Amino acid sequence: MIPAALLLLLFWGGTAVAAPPLLSPPEGFRVLDTPNDAGKSLSLVWKASPSDSKNRLVQVWAAESPQAAFNKVAEFPSNTRYVKPGDFPWWAQPAGKGDHYVKLSSSQAFPIENGKRYTVKLLMREGGREAWSDVAGGTAAPNYFNTAQINNLVFVLAFTGVLLGSIAAARRNPHVPLRRIAGLDAVEEAIGRSTEMGRPILYLTGAGDMSEVPTIAATVILGEVAKKVAHYDTTLKVPHRDPIVMAVCQEIVKEAYVEAGRPDAYKDESNFFITGDQFSYTAAVDGIMLREKPAANFFMGSYFAESLLLTETGASTGAIQIAGTDSDHQLPFFVTTCDYTLIGEELYAASAYLSREPVLVGTLRGQDFGKAFIMGVLVLGTALATVGVVADVDGVNYVLDLFKDFK
Amino acid sequence: MIFLKRQLPLAITFVMGIAFTFQYYIPHPVSEDAITNVSKWMQIISGFALFLGLASLFHVHAVKITRQVPGWGFSLALYVAMIGTIVIGFWSHGETKVDGGQTAFGWLYDYTMVPLQGTMFSILAFFIASAAYRAFRARSREASVLLVAAVVVMMGRVPLGQFLLPWTWDVTQWLLNVLNSAVRRAILIGVSMGAVALSLKIILGIERSYLGGGRDQ
Amino acid sequence: MKDFARRMVGIDRRIIFLLITAAILLPMLKPFGLPIKVSPEVKAVYDYIEAMPERSVFLLSFDFDPSSKPELEPQAVALLRHAFRKNLRVIGMTHWLTGTGLADGVFSAVAAETGKERGKDYAFLGWSPGGGALIISMGQDLYKAFPSDYSKTPTQGMPVLEGVRNLRDVNYMVSLAAGGSGIEMWYVFGKDKYRFEMAGGSTGVIAPGLYPFLRSGQINGLIGGLQGAAEYETLIGQKGMATAGMDAQSAAHFVIIALVLLCNVFYFMLRGEQGRPR
Repeated sequence: MIPAALLLLLFWGGTAVAAPPLLSPPEGFRVLDTPNDAGKSLSLVWKASPSDSKNRLVQVWAAESPQAAFNKVAEFPSNTRYVKPGDFPWWAQPAGKGDHYVKLSSSQAFPIENGKRYTVKLLMREGGREAWSDVAGGTAAPNYFNTAQINNLVFVLAFTGVLLGSIAAARRNPHVPLRRIAGLDAVEEAIGRSTEMGRPILYLTGAGDMSEVPTIAATVILGEVAKKVAHYDTTLKVPHRDPIVMAVCQEIVKEAYVEAGRPDAYKDESNFFITGDQFSYTAAVDGIMLREKPAANFFMGSYFAESLLLTETGASTGAIQIAGTDSDHQLPFFVTTCDYTLIGEELYAASAYLSREPVLVGTLRGQDFGKAFIMGVLVLGTALATVGVVADVDGVNYVLDLFKDFK
Repeated sequence: MIFLKRQLPLAITFVMGIAFTFQYYIPHPVSEDAITNVSKWMQIISGFALFLGLASLFHVHAVKITRQVPGWGFSLALYVAMIGTIVIGFWSHGETKVDGGQTAFGWLYDYTMVPLQGTMFSILAFFIASAAYRAFRARSREASVLLVAAVVVMMGRVPLGQFLLPWTWDVTQWLLNVLNSAVRRAILIGVSMGAVALSLKIILGIERSYLGGGRDQ
Repeated sequence: MKDFARRMVGIDRRIIFLLITAAILLPMLKPFGLPIKVSPEVKAVYDYIEAMPERSVFLLSFDFDPSSKPELEPQAVALLRHAFRKNLRVIGMTHWLTGTGLADGVFSAVAAETGKERGKDYAFLGWSPGGGALIISMGQDLYKAFPSDYSKTPTQGMPVLEGVRNLRDVNYMVSLAAGGSGIEMWYVFGKDKYRFEMAGGSTGVIAPGLYPFLRSGQINGLIGGLQGAAEYETLIGQKGMATAGMDAQSAAHFVIIALVLLCNVFYFMLRGEQGRPR
């Protein structure tokens, strides 16, 4: 009897010794309102564990209230969903680096309302073993400011300050030297040539609408060109793809004629609408070029595949062609087929260059400061990132985060 | 009048410009709703603005037809095509297909719009060839580099080039991914700075010539 | 000799047009079918779709019109064939009004070929105005942005859209773009705000301009022009219009290269003479 009892004891004892250790529940589990969002979502945070593995699964169980039943809303291996460098800036981190972070968004299976408290717990499973975390609660709420983007706001404000400072400096000392922009110097020549030949000037404002910066720049340059056209008493033709741009340009050209002292010479139909369709417009403008043979063609604003169709036709009629675009993908075509091309930011600088007004010229200097700053950041960032990787130093991320775009 | 044509638009630009600059930093649904609503206003205004465009189009071509200026036949063709398309569009209730069958509007789309647009785009191939012939010359050292790069990329982007000179594939990939990206980024940075500066000038009322007239600060 | 060179430099451009016509037509009549290499940027799109679980949501935006059909339709067909083969739920739409009929036709044709059902396996939402504003609207509520699909069926309750409330529920999107209202717009107003993965397909003309977005990870893949479409056709093992067109493109490239080299020869013969021809 005794040996049998001993055997039984050994058997149970043996089993106890061979059993794997109990699963440790997730530590430091917290539920918080997802920071910097529009609400209707919760963030779950807990500490990473050395025993996290792909075989150990984490289940998220959530309930609509402390009294309600819990439902499983997500499941994933425990060695996933870590906070990685670059996920959050150091000044707005909901969890420490290396912690687990899961964003629980409102879904049909588990709708999340703002202002309502939800309870959540985690279940750790591996093989047949299980361990529950503590129950934690959180309330979702929409946020009024995205703190992750505070660096972006600071740069915008700083750039605005630099721009205003440059304008003030230019007002005090209006003699700011400007680099020559050959394309803009040629505007006068092109208009003079058209006058001599008795042929019209064709001015295109591009494919964009009035909400696009290159289109606005194109309309600004149109004002300057129209003044000169009025002065020389030449015909101006501005075919449009957008009716609002057309209406704005009509006003600009009219005012330019008034300013040039030639209101009588202004014709409303110098600005006219063709169509919003890319290639129908292109065909129509090509037709105008071939029939009326303008002596000067201006292509300002943003352009797409129609650029070469327009400029090559213009080149075949022997017109002087001046282009200005920020559409970098079309630059090769413009450079190849036009006499002068304003590249990228030169388009935006044109109004300052043509008018020579200190206020506008001052903004160019401000822009240069901005570019110098970006160049400095590029060099510094590249150096720090390299040091960070080579020497495995985490500290560089404190500087690099300052220049990153977080959402 | 000066208030309606100058001060009011500048005030609207300033208020909306500042408001929507800050909208970018506000994730609250109110901010998202604001941008959605403003976008809808813009769509509605664009819709009405189309009438402006149509009025201009009809007027310009009506003048050409009545005065019988050279090429007035094209204007007549435009009238016929436009009115015809509108009538057929209404007749087909704007549908290109009904119960799997093609409507008259669908026929117009498939057999006039598609081939005409395709034709316009395909002219690009011819124009690229003629522009390349005229302009791609080794006038300077820089132009020579451009010429060599262009030839390599043209070879590397098509199977025949890859077959004859397999190395052009790798060089093309490198040119597109490294040099091309780097240069375009530089242009993009310059363009973006210019765009931000121009936007600020417009929001702050420093640049106002887009409203017509001089800069009467 | 110099006279000849001068005549050749100023050659009538219609002769160049004729040479290009011949270069495009002849390989189409007698194709030589060379193998097509696959670039990493096209492979990235294929791999992402390949790794998506069944019934994931794939949004394909046809941001082009008939003018870009020869380059972008083969891309659309290849992507749809792949997506339907992987049993993904496909949502189609367009930002270009004039591309609506074309996009619907492509959807219907590929769905019929693969036995997929409208409303159950795919939805074509059609066109709605607004561009970036439309994307923001879709990011907030897809059903408000598109209350009904192209065939006037209410989107609410469509089996294919089950569990999809807005762009945040989209697993992958590809914008096939011919210009503005395309890839950049989808990135700025869509991916950037609503955090879905996206790639782009574009005409050959604008493809080089999109490489910076590819290198920075703003798009995870890029299908550029007819070559990109042919690469995708190679990847899915179903050759189509793009592969057939690559021979013509090869020949056209070679004619242009030959013309450029010839012109430079004539140019060097004339160098030193007064006035360099433009």
